[in-house]
Amino acid sequence: MSADPYNSAVRDCFWGTLHSGEVAGGISAYFEDQGMRIRLSAGVADGTIAELRFLAWGCPHVIAATETFCRQFEGRPVAELGQFKTDQIMRNLAVPVEKTGRILVLEDTVRSLRAAISDRLAT
Amino acid sequence: MSSDLIYLDYAATTPLNEQVAERMRIVQGSAYFNPASNHAAGRLANAVVERAALQLGELLNVSPASFLWTSGATESNNLAITGAAKQRQHRGQHLVTMRTEHKAVVDVFRALERTGFEVTWLNPDSDGRLPIERFRNALRDDTQLASIMQVNNETGALQDIAAIGSVCRERDVLLHVDGAQAAGKIAVDLAALPVDLYSLTAHKFYGPKGIGALYVSKGVSIEPLMFGGGQQRRLRPGTLPVDLIAGLGEAAAVASGCVEEDLKRLSLLKEQLMSGLMDVAGLTINGPEEGGYPGILNVGIEDIEGESLLLALEPLCVATGSACNSQSQEPSYVLRSLGRSDRQAQSAIRFSFGRLTRSDEITAAIALYRAAVEKLRILAPEPAG
Repeated sequence: MSADPYNSAVRDCFWGTLHSGEVAGGISAYFEDQGMRIRLSAGVADGTIAELRFLAWGCPHVIAATETFCRQFEGRPVAELGQFKTDQIMRNLAVPVEKTGRILVLEDTVRSLRAAISDRLAT
Repeated sequence: MSSDLIYLDYAATTPLNEQVAERMRIVQGSAYFNPASNHAAGRLANAVVERAALQLGELLNVSPASFLWTSGATESNNLAITGAAKQRQHRGQHLVTMRTEHKAVVDVFRALERTGFEVTWLNPDSDGRLPIERFRNALRDDTQLASIMQVNNETGALQDIAAIGSVCRERDVLLHVDGAQAAGKIAVDLAALPVDLYSLTAHKFYGPKGIGALYVSKGVSIEPLMFGGGQQRRLRPGTLPVDLIAGLGEAAAVASGCVEEDLKRLSLLKEQLMSGLMDVAGLTINGPEEGGYPGILNVGIEDIEGESLLLALEPLCVATGSACNSQSQEPSYVLRSLGRSDRQAQSAIRFSFGRLTRSDEITAAIALYRAAVEKLRILAPEPAG
């Protein structure tokens, strides 16, 4: 029997994409690489990520990782975005090592989002 | 099988027919002996084997003495291609096959290439069919063997084996046919077809796994791949699995009585599936739109990621256009050979259905596919630029 490539966390986030979509009037960032495409959009208020939404084209692990990120960072201070690394998400979702490059697309998108938020707040 | 699952992967394997299972149970209990043993019990087991050969011979319209029992189509393909190519080395070193063959043929030819044989790899047209002139033009004076599958396992494309075989006979080229997706599923008359070697496996037509056969036409010689006993004219030694052989024979007998009926039902199911999917934007059919084996429909949709599509389709059990290797996620080489892009091939889904498939399962499959595509399209960001 072939092993299930997706653990329960992947299935939960893939099927329950609670944060799919875009924040109207929000700050957004887009990144694509390795055939994967991710758009993040955030509504920011008082230094906090009040609302976080995503769109993603990719394998189930990429979609689940992006949904996981949104679940974790919605309601958190903007400053915490700088600490985001994909290591914990990869462990939680048991992402196969050969998909590391795909998941790093999320890290790049988060970095772009943080820069976009900084730019918006500076103006 | 879980009652939640909708199994539309009959090209991978079929459920064991109840009549077949019963026959195997009887044989396991009463004729488990070694058919090579020279005593009454052995002769009893041997009679079971002979009955199975007769049943298979009736299905394919050839002598029951023309079969070698193997472990399945992979072994039959290996034995036929390697055994014939080595036997006929004096005739030439050139071999012909298609890029869209099953791995169990492709990898045998690759192995022969490494030992000095030269192989011409033919591409089909975009619908999966091989034009006869392309085949004819590939043959050379030193061509000794060709191998062409009858029904493609990914697309359902049917090759014109009668025409291909006639060309082979004209040119004194031996023809092997991988019939794994054809035997017991479409009418196959090996007495009428100019075919020298024909591979099949029981589990593709409601028989047990682990048993197959190789038809060897009268007068055709092959070299064995295994040594160690005198069974099966020393061409495939080893104690015969009597119960599995009985199961194959019974599956052949069942198929003999219902191939035509199966094809009619499958045509209706395929029509239902196609009409339910055809208006999905961007959908393409991989394989022949008409005239292919009706139990297989392969569709692609370029803007959808294949792995996510497969997960979004659960509890539907279908096959993807990716190779059977989750690490590589390589697009199907068969679909690439049909001219499909990597992305088209990667998004491909093969629906394959069979004798037990119900119309309401097709209805559910249509709904699941449409919902999955919609979900993933809603989720996808516009590409940059």
